[in-house]
Amino acid sequence: MTATRTRGGAPKAGTSGTSGAAALAAARDLALLDDAEFGVRLLRATGLHPGRTDARLRSWARSAAAYGAGLPARTGTARIVESDGGLAHGLLARYTTRPPTVELFTDVLARAERLVDDLSWRAWFPPGSVREAALAHEAVHEQLHHGPGRAALRRALGHRLLSLGGRALYGHVAGAEEIAAHAHAQAVCSLGRSPLLLTAALDTVLDSATAGPPAGAAESGPAAAHNSPSPPASPLRRKK
Amino acid sequence: MGVLILLVMAAGVAAMLSRKIPTAFALVILGVIIAVIAGAPFKGENSITDTVLQTGASMLAATMIAIILGSWLGKLLDETGIAGTLVRKIVEFGGDQPVVVALGVLAVSTLVGTVTGSAPAAMLAGIIGIPAMIAVGIPKVTAAGTILMGIAAGMPFELPVWQFFSTALKLPVSDVRGYMIKLFPFALAAAILFVVIETRRRGAEHSWALKSATAKPPAADSRAAARRAQLGDARWYALLTPVVPLVLALGFKIAIIPSLLAGVIYAVITTTPPRDMSKRLLRTLYAGFEVAAAPIALFVSIGILLAAVQLPGSIDALRPLVKDVSPQNPVLFVVVFVVLVPLCLYRGPLNVYGLGAGIASVLISAGIYPPLAVLGLTASYNQVFGVADPTSTQTVWAAQYAGVTPQQVMARTLPYVWLVALGGFCVTAATYL
Repeated sequence: MTATRTRGGAPKAGTSGTSGAAALAAARDLALLDDAEFGVRLLRATGLHPGRTDARLRSWARSAAAYGAGLPARTGTARIVESDGGLAHGLLARYTTRPPTVELFTDVLARAERLVDDLSWRAWFPPGSVREAALAHEAVHEQLHHGPGRAALRRALGHRLLSLGGRALYGHVAGAEEIAAHAHAQAVCSLGRSPLLLTAALDTVLDSATAGPPAGAAESGPAAAHNSPSPPASPLRRKK
Repeated sequence: MGVLILLVMAAGVAAMLSRKIPTAFALVILGVIIAVIAGAPFKGENSITDTVLQTGASMLAATMIAIILGSWLGKLLDETGIAGTLVRKIVEFGGDQPVVVALGVLAVSTLVGTVTGSAPAAMLAGIIGIPAMIAVGIPKVTAAGTILMGIAAGMPFELPVWQFFSTALKLPVSDVRGYMIKLFPFALAAAILFVVIETRRRGAEHSWALKSATAKPPAADSRAAARRAQLGDARWYALLTPVVPLVLALGFKIAIIPSLLAGVIYAVITTTPPRDMSKRLLRTLYAGFEVAAAPIALFVSIGILLAAVQLPGSIDALRPLVKDVSPQNPVLFVVVFVVLVPLCLYRGPLNVYGLGAGIASVLISAGIYPPLAVLGLTASYNQVFGVADPTSTQTVWAAQYAGVTPQQVMARTLPYVWLVALGGFCVTAATYL
């Protein structure tokens, strides 16, 4: 693997004052939730599972996590690029297939490490583990994109679309691949909790630090959440 | 006098481009000024008040009714979960292959595009379709472009558009339908090529996003979304709703408004218990009015502009000028109008939902081209404007919702829709010149 470094124009963000303390407290409270709950939230937030019960989503989240945790540890073959535009894009890392590249956003990685210290979560996330988790996470996407892993994940989830005799057609569950990638990262990096917990805490703290994204800097819309989109109210609705 | 009218039109374009005056208001002002320059009297026959304002305002009334019905049907597709179910099923069946999901969402967008247009169509297909595509790894610009290309592929069969061209260009609906059937293969081929080529060129993209575990479901705050969530998936036969008006209008040659009404009735019967039908119909109808407000305002003002440029004084003034610059040779016709494609972007003078409608009217009224040739021109430009114009509401909405800029979407989609326009012009030149 080769690592190159590029620079992006990320806005500075941090926590300060009362709102910062409240955000830290809110982030700390997230640890009271179990890891499967974050999986449920991720699935629910895709917007593709309306009408499905929490129990169903929890079952899928657990199955996806078990599948991801059980994947053998593999080093990705993609080129690694580091840049500091993650805060602006709302991203910690990204894997693209053309060309196969893992992009690590160093500003968010650094902010995550600081937050782990602020929340006294070092026992769960050892120093440098966030970067390693990001690489492990994106390696799963690489593996699933190029191999037969997606079919295996579908079978593991057991979402039957059609059954005929002894044969069944299993459906794709949007968001499951992301949960599997996080669970894999947790397993291979020996993290005490799911990276989803740290991601949620990071988002909580950064949200409070930036009352609003800098104009033209932060991405909006479902892209901001990627696999768990959180679209803004449409511009048309905003006008009303 | 003709030069003065053209200068006024240029000033109107500048005002619209610079956003100093909203398009709907600018067209009304243009209509009145053109009528004054053309020497129209204040009232009476061919006058400013009776002809331009009174007759012009209601000239496109049939189109407005079709727009309202299309918006009503669009609201029903949204509230009953038909559009969402289509997208979810596509993801469940084809989620392992991003290109399959994108092609499926493209198909849904095309169906939606036959029912309603502009931002409501983009929202109907995109609110679930864009996150679904991004979730399976489609890059954001491609996801937004897929929605827009899909809607544009459905546009040749969008019944309110047929009504608009029929009324504005004074053509029978059957003629409009005939041309649109010829234009459709180009629009569909370009849309499919866009998805296949762009997903191969750009590949897939998976991000570890900060919002991934804290985000709320899209539009969860709205009552309609809550109702959809309670309903779950729509039944398979309800998913046929978007094709009902199309089959009636295209296959059985039933008039546009009854075809759309049949779609509304089919949607409500297949999704709603009898006791709730009246409530749902009324609620979605009123919501449809809200959606239709902007296009209706535009069509009122386009009608006024059309009435102004169709005044005898306007036609006499513009005929010699327009005749001199309008190519008659079929090859030159195609070349010139292909080169002029960018003039329909940014609310430019060839935008058919703006000054382009007036220019089209002049081309017909002055006898420069046969009405069917003008239909070919305007419908082809409409395919470009409907996808790539960074100022059109559907493009702005889809781009922002995907988290990219409308200019990025324009840059990615323009080559494809330019080819659609080329195809449309070639058909027009070969068939109608």
